[in-house]
Amino acid sequence: MNKSKSVTLENIVKIFKDPQSGQDVKAVDNVSFRLEPGELVTLLGPSGCGKTTVLRMLSGFEQPTSGRIMIGDNDVTFTPPNKRDTAMVFQSYGLFPHMNVFDNVAYGLRLRKMPESDIALKVSKFLDMVGLGQMAKRPPSRLSGGQQQRVALARSLIVEPSVLLLDEPLSNLDALLREQMRVEIRRLQKSLGITAVYVTHDRIEAMSLSDKIIVMKGGHIAQIGTPSDIYRDPANTFVAGFVGKVAFFPCVVKNIAQASQGSGCEVEVKGRIFRAPRWAKDLKPDDKALVMARPESLSIGEAGTGVEDGIVTTNIYLGNSVESWVHTDLGDVLVQIDNPDEKKIFAEGESVSLSFNPNLTKILIDDREAV
Amino acid sequence: MNKKSALNFVLTMLFVAAVGYWIFSSVRGEFFKQSRDGQRRTVETIAAGYPGLDEPEFLDSWLKRLDEETKKDYKLVFIKDIPAPNDNNFEAQGDAELAALIKYNISNSEFAKGFDNAAYEEIYRSVNNWTLSDKEHALFFAPALNSKTHDIDGVLVFAFDNSAETGFVNMLLTLFGVAFALFAVVIWQIMLSRDPIVGFALAGLFIMALIFVAYPLFEALRLSFLENGKFSLAIWKQILNSEGYMAALIGSLKLGCWTATVSTFVGFLFAFACTRTNIKFKKLISTMGVLPVISPPFSLTLSIILLFGNNGLVTRFLGLTGSSWFTIYGLPGLVLVQTMGMFPIAFLTLSGVLQAIDSTFEEAALNLSAGRFKTFTSVTLPLSVPGLLSAWLLVFTTSLADFANPLLLAGDLKVLSLESYIEVTGMNRLGHGAALSILLLLPTLTAFLVQRFWVARKSYVTVTGKPSGRVMELVTPPVKKLIAGFIFFIIIFLIALYGTIFAGCFVKNWGIDYTFSLENIYEAITRSKDALFDTVTLAAVATPIAGIIAMIAALLIVRRKFHGKRLLEILLMTPFALPGTLVGISYILAFNHAPIILVGTAAIIIINYVIRELPVGIEGGIASLRQIDPSIEEAATDLGADAATVFKSIVLPLVRPAFLSSLSYTFVRSMTAVSAVIFLISARWYHLTVLIYNFSENLRFGLASVLSTVLIIIVFGAFGIMRLLVRENENLMKNVT
Repeated sequence: MNKSKSVTLENIVKIFKDPQSGQDVKAVDNVSFRLEPGELVTLLGPSGCGKTTVLRMLSGFEQPTSGRIMIGDNDVTFTPPNKRDTAMVFQSYGLFPHMNVFDNVAYGLRLRKMPESDIALKVSKFLDMVGLGQMAKRPPSRLSGGQQQRVALARSLIVEPSVLLLDEPLSNLDALLREQMRVEIRRLQKSLGITAVYVTHDRIEAMSLSDKIIVMKGGHIAQIGTPSDIYRDPANTFVAGFVGKVAFFPCVVKNIAQASQGSGCEVEVKGRIFRAPRWAKDLKPDDKALVMARPESLSIGEAGTGVEDGIVTTNIYLGNSVESWVHTDLGDVLVQIDNPDEKKIFAEGESVSLSFNPNLTKILIDDREAV
Repeated sequence: MNKKSALNFVLTMLFVAAVGYWIFSSVRGEFFKQSRDGQRRTVETIAAGYPGLDEPEFLDSWLKRLDEETKKDYKLVFIKDIPAPNDNNFEAQGDAELAALIKYNISNSEFAKGFDNAAYEEIYRSVNNWTLSDKEHALFFAPALNSKTHDIDGVLVFAFDNSAETGFVNMLLTLFGVAFALFAVVIWQIMLSRDPIVGFALAGLFIMALIFVAYPLFEALRLSFLENGKFSLAIWKQILNSEGYMAALIGSLKLGCWTATVSTFVGFLFAFACTRTNIKFKKLISTMGVLPVISPPFSLTLSIILLFGNNGLVTRFLGLTGSSWFTIYGLPGLVLVQTMGMFPIAFLTLSGVLQAIDSTFEEAALNLSAGRFKTFTSVTLPLSVPGLLSAWLLVFTTSLADFANPLLLAGDLKVLSLESYIEVTGMNRLGHGAALSILLLLPTLTAFLVQRFWVARKSYVTVTGKPSGRVMELVTPPVKKLIAGFIFFIIIFLIALYGTIFAGCFVKNWGIDYTFSLENIYEAITRSKDALFDTVTLAAVATPIAGIIAMIAALLIVRRKFHGKRLLEILLMTPFALPGTLVGISYILAFNHAPIILVGTAAIIIINYVIRELPVGIEGGIASLRQIDPSIEEAATDLGADAATVFKSIVLPLVRPAFLSSLSYTFVRSMTAVSAVIFLISARWYHLTVLIYNFSENLRFGLASVLSTVLIIIVFGAFGIMRLLVRENENLMKNVT
């Protein structure tokens, strides 16, 4: 199956009319991106960020107010969903309750007027692929959630779409099943080499699945990047906070060293100078900024030894690590202590001080919204 | 836009053009006919007043008087004797310009024909128009007949200004041109749109609603404000000032109030017994509490007459025949028979309401040591007040719109539905009939709207949590016995009523000769074969059409965003609130003249069925679709199905229960229709219920009983089949996520 295609969105805007107030609401505001053939890209963001709207415009259920959508070399902006070479897996699966598993999966092939004998072969191949070979005669109502999910997946994949669209497909499953299905989806997508767009608000899902993540907020794209880019090198405090636990330490930029001398951004936190390998490009010396530190880059020491003092409120023992919550003037901060058996664990209620490993941090502009 | 859709567009526009031309020419023909008839009447009147030639001064003064007294919209010339062809040497009196025209064109064959016709005492109208004072004129040739000698003195030539006609045709042409252009734009737009099928479905629904809902109502309203072709309040003044009509209004309201009150009481007892006591035979109670709602019209009335009529079984038995005070005809009899037929409406409404009121409330009250009666009056009753009001209003509207029962049983009581029928069929005063049925609409519509938008909102039902599923014994045993006694009395009475109809089939001559006989059955079947065939055919054709349209409309209303959705909903739902008589009258008013003539055809009856039964189907479809996850349909679309395929392969199977019940509802209601259909039937297309009415009117109760029994069997059978199909369906797919 080598027909996977690229997907291009150019300056997509979608305006809805609010049915109550009658006012226009910009659900998607000037979004552009490009997916390479065979890539799995996640649209990640909080609810109402416009990610589902983008997906529905890709599938054709919504039309953009302005902008252009291309699949491969075809402009499909105004093509209706039934004429598009996309297939969607719905959050609620949308299985046809009056058809059994076989007929559900065969539906798209029958629409394409494939001979019944070919259909039978192909459906059983795809049902085997998702591990439901024995379930062909069952009605969907007699399948578990995970099995229903697989039927939905098989039904979409069997028509060999150029682009597979997945709308929070795992949100109705329990945690264990979700992990299993994540692996499954990734495996199928890679083995079929299909271009896929995956919408979710679950950062772990996004991280573990994607070639590329597009983080959205308020109808805009906040950042596009690989999972590790997004985690280690977030574009702003929103992305940093959305894709993982984070602590921000106020700082002042001292010096930005250029690449020839080993690049880095020198900042001062409470009179101490640190050098961070990554920083927001708009920063200039003397700017007030933030040091972004992930739980695994933080460490806990005796009171007065670090950059921020606080009190341990909770320790959560996880075996390979301990998660300590420390209450400080900056808020409650999560610290992840790996290999806890080798390290000192401060008891709950003890006064402590936080430090960070500057090599794992990034300096960000303080764009946090007042809460 | 590819070749195929361009071809489609051209074909569609050709079709639209053909339909447009047909409508245009029929409107033009109608207008011509009217104006020509008017002109001909003028010619006839004036020619009849021709005074004769014996005294020449008479003619002069007659012509002068015509000039002065009548508002002359014509020119007139009197020609002495019949001129020979090509002889322009004749004597002419009157309009000089016209006389000159005749002299100048005397050799034209039209004139020869005109004079010829006059010689044979016929009036002739010129085919061509003639120019007089720069305007087109139509010429009429009429004989000047001497009333004394019976000789033809000469020819009266009339010229009527026809330029208005030409102007009208031009205006009509422009109008149709504009409409055609608009159509072209709309169809072009739809074809270019992403979803042409949906566009066409919507356009079709709008056109249907406008032509078959809005237009007839408008015509009824218009005619009630018309006198001699001009706007006038005369009909309304007459109606509002007439004691007879006002008596009918009051009669309708009185009947409605009585029936609603008694029915609500009976319905509440039935519902209460089923939901709040552990009474025995609940299944029987709830079945008998629903059955009458689908029993054919006239059937209950018929058996009431058989039992309590002047020669009825009970009347005879009690020796009341010819008694001065006892008669079943009139208000009490009507209240009785309407209650028997309509308490199921109250029962269904109230058992829904009572079921939804959580028993925990009552348990709580009992727990707080309120007595059972106190609990009933302080908890159960107040909580069911909105339901009671709702039931009362629903029965009230049904009673007001009821036509079949009063038709047989009204006696001296006047009710509006009946009066409007008499105005139309008995007196041929369509305007009065329309006005009366519009008058009937006012209380009906008010009650309907109050129920819909006020009472329904005040309902407490939704505030409850989980129903406890347990039945509360809310009455003491003696009270329960009393209720049970009352309920079983009514059930036995109902069974007796149905039994009487059945017995009526096998009796030689009810009231006089009770010997067993099959003659009635034989005669009824032979005489009603055609009507039975018509009735079943019409209902069978209307049923699938109504069902499919209802589901399409429901789908579009629930799932699509479009302009004018509210308007379409209102238009499609309106027929539900309209009394059948109004629908019937407005249909004969609207569809017996150009541009759409349907009176006398099967189409008008079928359309009437479809339009009237759509609202219930649409409501069912909407309720059913709201429960179905839209992503099921989206998934089908996404896999490549167009709107029609999605409808056929996904929506229709999923809303099967709603679809089936809409089908059976339409079928049953069409089989048992009276109020609208009685206006629309024709010699060719007859309806069984009207035949039952005719037999009853002619006191052939045996025949009426047979036909009623046949109808009851058909209707109950159709309902039974539907229930079976739906149940099977429910087992099949319980889990529509």
